[in-house]
Amino acid sequence: MIETTASPFPAIRLRPWLGIVATALASIATWMALLWAPTDAAQGDVYRVIYVHVPTAWLAYLAFVVVFLASIGWLWTRRPWFDALAVSSAEIGVLFTGLFIVSGSIWAKPTWGVWWTWDPRLVTTAIMFLMYLGYLLLRSLSIDFESRATRAAVLGIIAVVDIPIVHLSVLWMNSLHQLPTVMRIGAAPSLDRTMGMTLGISVIAFTFVYLALLVERMSIERVRQQRVLEGRS
Amino acid sequence: MIDRTLLVALREVFAERRHPDGLVAALTFTGMVVLLESLALGPGRARQPDVASGIFWIAILFSATLVSQRSFDRDLEDDAIDAVLALPGGRDAIYAGKVVALGMITGLVAVAAGVMAILLLSLEIALPLHLVLLLALGIVALAPVIVLVHVLALRVRARVAVVPIIAFPMLTPQLVAATQGTAAAISGDATAALGWAGLLAAFALVYTVLGVTIVPAAIE
Repeated sequence: MIETTASPFPAIRLRPWLGIVATALASIATWMALLWAPTDAAQGDVYRVIYVHVPTAWLAYLAFVVVFLASIGWLWTRRPWFDALAVSSAEIGVLFTGLFIVSGSIWAKPTWGVWWTWDPRLVTTAIMFLMYLGYLLLRSLSIDFESRATRAAVLGIIAVVDIPIVHLSVLWMNSLHQLPTVMRIGAAPSLDRTMGMTLGISVIAFTFVYLALLVERMSIERVRQQRVLEGRS
Repeated sequence: MIDRTLLVALREVFAERRHPDGLVAALTFTGMVVLLESLALGPGRARQPDVASGIFWIAILFSATLVSQRSFDRDLEDDAIDAVLALPGGRDAIYAGKVVALGMITGLVAVAAGVMAILLLSLEIALPLHLVLLLALGIVALAPVIVLVHVLALRVRARVAVVPIIAFPMLTPQLVAATQGTAAAISGDATAALGWAGLLAAFALVYTVLGVTIVPAAIE
């Protein structure tokens, strides 16, 4: 039996504040990334793409892990709230995975000399992008609410297997892409302190942008669910 | 569960034997790919281990999708799937049975296509036992995902288009592992062949366990 009412979630009440905090943090991160962080000795100013590239990569992973957890939540409890969380996070995840690929491509051109190369990290990321596009496609083609949520939840759980493959592909295969500098297994980040701080603030700012977008998108989805469920009952 | 899985698998195999349209389509398709391969690339390039194995596994992937597609089409015709769902016990056996049947039929296609490729392309196999192992593990790694995606797309609009869009990206790591492993077995690199075989076994295990555990929830 599934719920037919849209119970409020605490995060919904934080909606205006999340937007304000996200904007403030994004402004600080932009200042730090463009003006405060030093120029890289080898790459010059080109490296500053890292302050967009790494946070978008983090958000791509985070968004799809949230899809995974929300999918388990739906299958376990059948609460529509979890389905709203899954679809909202998947859409934002696709957006940030797209930005992750585009920012990587912008960085690749001056450093590698090409916009795109058949590198394991690039290819596995593109595959992750396609998988979550497939997830959204499957949702859009299913008609019945419960059936759509269940099928999407199963796919959301299965697809998460790709995330470690993307992250560890640079270790498993010969890759042009540099090895992980921040999320290194069993080691501290290999980054200058100032650059590391700027990157940290950028990641936090992007995470708040994700949360603000997530809460906005979820509120829309909850209204849509309410209409569908009320129409059924 | 094993009895019911075998029951569903045998039902699938018998249905395919009675109306072997899926098998015939898959055999014709892989045969055409093997024949066209040397025409399109030239016999020299087509014989290279990485090229031959890459094309072989892409053909097997498409063939397995065709066979599975036909199996679900057959179940949807006249709502025969309702009778399948009425089988006593859990729906995990339906999923597992379809995976076993797809593995068996795709195995048959792979053996036929493999023999044809070896003869027509004059391939010299340095490690035949490794090749057989990789062939078996490759099929075992592909089948759970293909059946899983077919289950998810069951009774969905544009099902024929949705399945490849979802399944093929998910199968890319398995495809890479099978291709690299087969190329290593052909060229005689035992360590690489066994390494890729291990990866295929891991993928097969992960997706089979996930499939049996959560896919029954999506079978309607």
